[in-house]
Amino acid sequence: MTPREQQDVPDPGRRALLANGALLGTAFAAQALGAAEGSPSRGRILESDRPDAPYPFGAAENCLYTVCLNCNTGCGIKAKIQDGVLTKIDGNPHNPWTLFPHLPASAAPGDAARVDGSICPKGQAGLQTAYDPYRLRKVLKRAGARGENKWTTIEFSTALREIVAGGRLFAGVPGEETREVEGLRSILALRDGKAAAAMAADVEHLWKEKDATKKQALVEEFKQAHAAHLAALIDPDHPDLGPRNNQFAIVWGRLKGGRGDFIKRFGAACGTTNLHGHTTVCQGSLYFTGKAVSEQYEGGSFGGGQKFYWQADTENARFILFVGANLFEANYGPPNRAVRLTDSIAQGRTRIAVVDPRLSKLASKAWKWLPIKPGEDGALAMAFLRWMIDNERYDRAFLESANPAAAKAAGETTWSNASWLVEIKDGEPGAFARAADHGLAEAQARTAKTSKGEITYDEKFLLVRRGDAFVAFDPNDAQAAVTGDLFVDAALPDGARVKSSLQLVREAACEKTFEDWCAQCGLDPVDVGDVAAELASHGKRAAVDLHRGVAQHTNGFYSVLAWYTVNALLGNYDWQGGMSALKTYGFDGTKGGPFDLSGTPGKLAAFGVSMIRHGVDYAATTLFSGYPARRNWYPLASDVYEEIIPSLGDAYPYPIKALLLYMGAPTYSLPAGHTNIEILRNVAKLPLFIASDILIGPTSLYADYIFPDLSYLERWEFQGSHPSMNLKVEPVRQPVIAPIPESCTVYGEEQPISLESLLLGLAEVLGYAAFGPDGFSPGAPLVKMDDFYLRCVANLAAGAAPDGSASAPAADDAELALFSRARRHLPRTVFDEQRWRRIAGEDLWPKVVHVLNRGGRFQDFSAMEKAAPRLPNPYGKLLCLYQEKTAKQRYSGTGKHYRGHACCVPLADYHGNPLDDLARGADLHLITHKVISATKSRTISNYWLRPLMPENAILINPRDARRLGLQDGDAVKVVSSSNPEGAWPIREGHARPMIGRVQFTETIRPGVVSFALGFGLWATGAEDAVIDGEVVPGDPRRASGVHANAAMWVDPALKNTCLLDPVGGSVSFYDTRIRLERAPAGSLPPLRGRFMRE
Amino acid sequence: MSDSSPRVEEPPAGSPSVENRRAFLKAAALLGGAATAGTAALVDAKRTTIGNEPTGAASVRDLPPLASISIERRSDPLLCMQEALRRALAKPVEERRWLMVIDTRKCVGCHACTIACVAENRLPPGVVYRPVVTEEIGSFPNVALRFTPRPCMHCDEPPCTPVCPVRATWKRPDGIVVVDYYKCIGCGYCVTACPYNARTRDLGEHYTDGTPALQPYEERPSLEYGKLWDRRGHGSPVGNARKCHFCLHRLEEGMLPECVTSCIGRATYFGDAADPDNLVAELAARPNARRLLEEKGTGPRVVYLV
Repeated sequence: MTPREQQDVPDPGRRALLANGALLGTAFAAQALGAAEGSPSRGRILESDRPDAPYPFGAAENCLYTVCLNCNTGCGIKAKIQDGVLTKIDGNPHNPWTLFPHLPASAAPGDAARVDGSICPKGQAGLQTAYDPYRLRKVLKRAGARGENKWTTIEFSTALREIVAGGRLFAGVPGEETREVEGLRSILALRDGKAAAAMAADVEHLWKEKDATKKQALVEEFKQAHAAHLAALIDPDHPDLGPRNNQFAIVWGRLKGGRGDFIKRFGAACGTTNLHGHTTVCQGSLYFTGKAVSEQYEGGSFGGGQKFYWQADTENARFILFVGANLFEANYGPPNRAVRLTDSIAQGRTRIAVVDPRLSKLASKAWKWLPIKPGEDGALAMAFLRWMIDNERYDRAFLESANPAAAKAAGETTWSNASWLVEIKDGEPGAFARAADHGLAEAQARTAKTSKGEITYDEKFLLVRRGDAFVAFDPNDAQAAVTGDLFVDAALPDGARVKSSLQLVREAACEKTFEDWCAQCGLDPVDVGDVAAELASHGKRAAVDLHRGVAQHTNGFYSVLAWYTVNALLGNYDWQGGMSALKTYGFDGTKGGPFDLSGTPGKLAAFGVSMIRHGVDYAATTLFSGYPARRNWYPLASDVYEEIIPSLGDAYPYPIKALLLYMGAPTYSLPAGHTNIEILRNVAKLPLFIASDILIGPTSLYADYIFPDLSYLERWEFQGSHPSMNLKVEPVRQPVIAPIPESCTVYGEEQPISLESLLLGLAEVLGYAAFGPDGFSPGAPLVKMDDFYLRCVANLAAGAAPDGSASAPAADDAELALFSRARRHLPRTVFDEQRWRRIAGEDLWPKVVHVLNRGGRFQDFSAMEKAAPRLPNPYGKLLCLYQEKTAKQRYSGTGKHYRGHACCVPLADYHGNPLDDLARGADLHLITHKVISATKSRTISNYWLRPLMPENAILINPRDARRLGLQDGDAVKVVSSSNPEGAWPIREGHARPMIGRVQFTETIRPGVVSFALGFGLWATGAEDAVIDGEVVPGDPRRASGVHANAAMWVDPALKNTCLLDPVGGSVSFYDTRIRLERAPAGSLPPLRGRFMRE
Repeated sequence: MSDSSPRVEEPPAGSPSVENRRAFLKAAALLGGAATAGTAALVDAKRTTIGNEPTGAASVRDLPPLASISIERRSDPLLCMQEALRRALAKPVEERRWLMVIDTRKCVGCHACTIACVAENRLPPGVVYRPVVTEEIGSFPNVALRFTPRPCMHCDEPPCTPVCPVRATWKRPDGIVVVDYYKCIGCGYCVTACPYNARTRDLGEHYTDGTPALQPYEERPSLEYGKLWDRRGHGSPVGNARKCHFCLHRLEEGMLPECVTSCIGRATYFGDAADPDNLVAELAARPNARRLLEEKGTGPRVVYLV
């Protein structure tokens, strides 16, 4: 397409602009409406002088398919373009989230255009995230103290130069006149790849040495061997802190495939180990329990666990117990799971029960609601385990299968270690008994392929008991089936005490009676018994589905594990109606396709302890100084969001000099997020803070530089899937509207300012080999985002089979023409067909077009029928009910071993102390919930949604309200022992009190109060900003409501972050006790609109 | 109230269905805006026949089938209903009888329909064609939530049309109650007359008023009634009464109303009740079918399954 053929694109640059054009502001030139083409008729529907106009949205040329990200459900969407502007969003019928079953790949674009899938209100309002008057168009540089919201606009290239070179960058800011900021060039000190690799290997070696004296000797050896590079280390006496490069951290909130690969490539070029995500603020302990359960026996030990989780197959289960899951409003559920559930409930095919202290919309459709006491999900799981074991209501054949051969014989695709024997030493379960260590087998020298490469090792075999015999077996044996007794407590012939995994679970479940467990949960044992009986009455077509309500407590890991164990007792993994694991098509070239994007030319091996101290045993490092460690270490978790800023605040394990934050709002999203504000405001603790954001957000407010980013409707990503989606998919996010940010030039290419151009620009200034004209390989440039993402799409289209048999269909000529026509409103900076075609390659191009014309690749629905009664994409591996790897680790807060199996763990702080002191004087338990119209910090700009809920409220049971003398709608302040002021320290001289209105509701358990996330924002267009000396007034609608995260308890041992789960890393969202103080009259502005029932 | 309104047969007091039904009717009352005596009296006037839409052969639409998509028993009900639309539109308008059925058991109270309608019809602040009412019933722990979407009922005896002094609103032969923005003078009589509060006036506001700039999605014309309505410069429908029209402009293209296609619980059904094979005809005959404020004699063409 020539530029002339492109539609008249609204040019944000044409108008006189507010604040020097820094914001989207008065961006769009008015467009002539134009006479409706070829429609002389005046009365098809209504006869009048006004001519008829064709309906643009039934035509394929006005529809583009992409993926929503107004929450992370990631539904497929159809973006409908009217006069070059996105004015309507519906569901993408090709995508199984929004049409059930979705259209087959053979459906023609013309037909698909006329079929709309269903999408939730946030998804529909998402265009207001893109067209937001407060969107950033230019780079902002801080012109006042951190948080003061004063900025100057700055050229993109100037900002990059400053960040890389450093200097007195903020000489104009009072108090910072002489502050020298160290630039990235100096921080990224180690540039020698060979030296980095050698040092990385030596640090690994150092960590393997258990003897302290020998370890010290290794440190000295290290210093001698790498004398030339010691200046590039953070601390030569602690070489395992790694290079100074680690003092540059890249941190993200919501990051999806594609952009994630881009960031990792940049990080690999930088040689920093500090690339961290936000998982633990969502449901880290769900993921990391999943990882621990999915560890495989490889080369004599356990490895290869996946950071993932399971969900129930919503469409085929006959009974689902939802625990802490609110899938009609959030939790990756609304369109995709509602459509698979409501008809079954209405027709009586499926029953559900819901465990939640609040009657959610999901619970309103339940056969039974169990309004549990917050934090007792683990106790309830133990009640279920006790009931199932006592009543022998478990799947014996599944549980007895000890290896793949036995699973196959039992008709299963997965197996568990329920029958494997664990050695008990000093009364404490540790490792699985190795047969060769007890004279019950001969060790064999073997080689094995493991997740860390091929290794040679001695296979010692594991043990089960069958009747009177101990049987040594190979857990990976696919030929000789081995089954074992489930409940074993015995001595081996050499006297060693062993118990089976399930025996350990039984003992944990028998720590209390069924009735006592129920009492601990605050639930009636009759109700719990009814639900347990129902759960156990549908064979494999019943499941327990978990979400963050279970995971986000200090005991999250073990509560999740206990419920996964309940599912294992049902034997429902990989069965339709049971537990389903995630499955996606690959796009990075490692699972097929012509372009391997996983490698990074010029990669600098990252090494050393990460700033959040994950993936390494504290005792193995040179920082070890007994227990408790200063802060927690996370041998089993990663992406521990609540440790990032607080750790740099404590400079433990080392100071951070520069932080790049992408699409994150930890100050807002984290419990006790106010602790993060206090740290970020201090330039001594974090000398350089760069943010990539679409607006001045609640955390980017504190940044030194904000680089405008593309919203999800302007960019590329590979959204991935959720476990409950039974089919294999890879939805593709692609630009559907012209970029809002201004253009910049990087490597000579004009492109929109975005995360990618920021990283490319930094790479250009720093001279990294993995980017630029020869970024992929000589002659294969990576100078613009499409160089990367079109290769991803080409891989996805090519499929996993080398012979092309798994490739996408090819678009025909009509579809190829449609592809161009449908993008006529996109400028060449984001859509250049010839360029794209060149990148993808002539052979694959028609397949790429087929994929993009449908918004991704989606397995055909017929796969379900073919696989029935099993799921079409099985997990197909070992499930660890007992986790040897977990049990071998020590908890850095106490020095005790973690437990390796399902159990009920009391709520505690980092030192393992109970929370009673914090709770003194606090009479209400604070929890949070999501409403369908809000996603934390990023939907307040969606004005269509505001009338649905002009502000949130503090939900309270009238029994509590009466006791406190409150009336419905009264303004109250939320205070707690760690925030007695009940306020957010937004900036110097401005504390924002946590005041909201109470709303009476019978839907909440007495003693518990809750508020919906997504309100009570600062920055984000809610407050005035000053840009280039001009005041940009905030919109009070965006400041409405209350955000009470700052009342959530600060861990008394850590002092600058929230309570957390020391194993799975989750933040504690639901363990705080608070008080409500009546707020003086006039504390709140008058209510806008009606006080809506949530 | 019209004398012709059907009398409601009350089942014996105390039976569960009475309780259910009473609660349901009470829900309807919450929807606000009971008609005043004055305007209600006007309802007695004859139904207006001022429609100016094409009828007979001119209203027959020969829409292409979704040829590349096979529609089977297992298909999404959205596809089945869309296929049935094609059959209905192949008939002249006076032989179609549109009916909406809302299965409240499947409604999850998500407001997708509300916002889909706002977006599709470019509704400004204060104008909502399809709110969803959420009610809480009972006390802890025996408590329930009830969701009631409330579009225009497209009454067979609409109280809103006869009160229009300029004949700008009428009931079409297919049952849809429409407004001609060109004729509407914005007097608001119809707004008051509707017992369901289904009409609101467009006061000319924008969602991005008071922000650094009006946004382009608000400036694009509305596509209602198959025409372009540009609200800039106080153009129609600013000042007019606005209401749900079952997305007539989409029906004309063989596409379902937005509240139907956007429903994530598949709670809303739409079709031609004159076709006995149509799903809505079957559903409306179920014993758990109810209509809002039936005693007012408005003959709503929206049926609720409870």
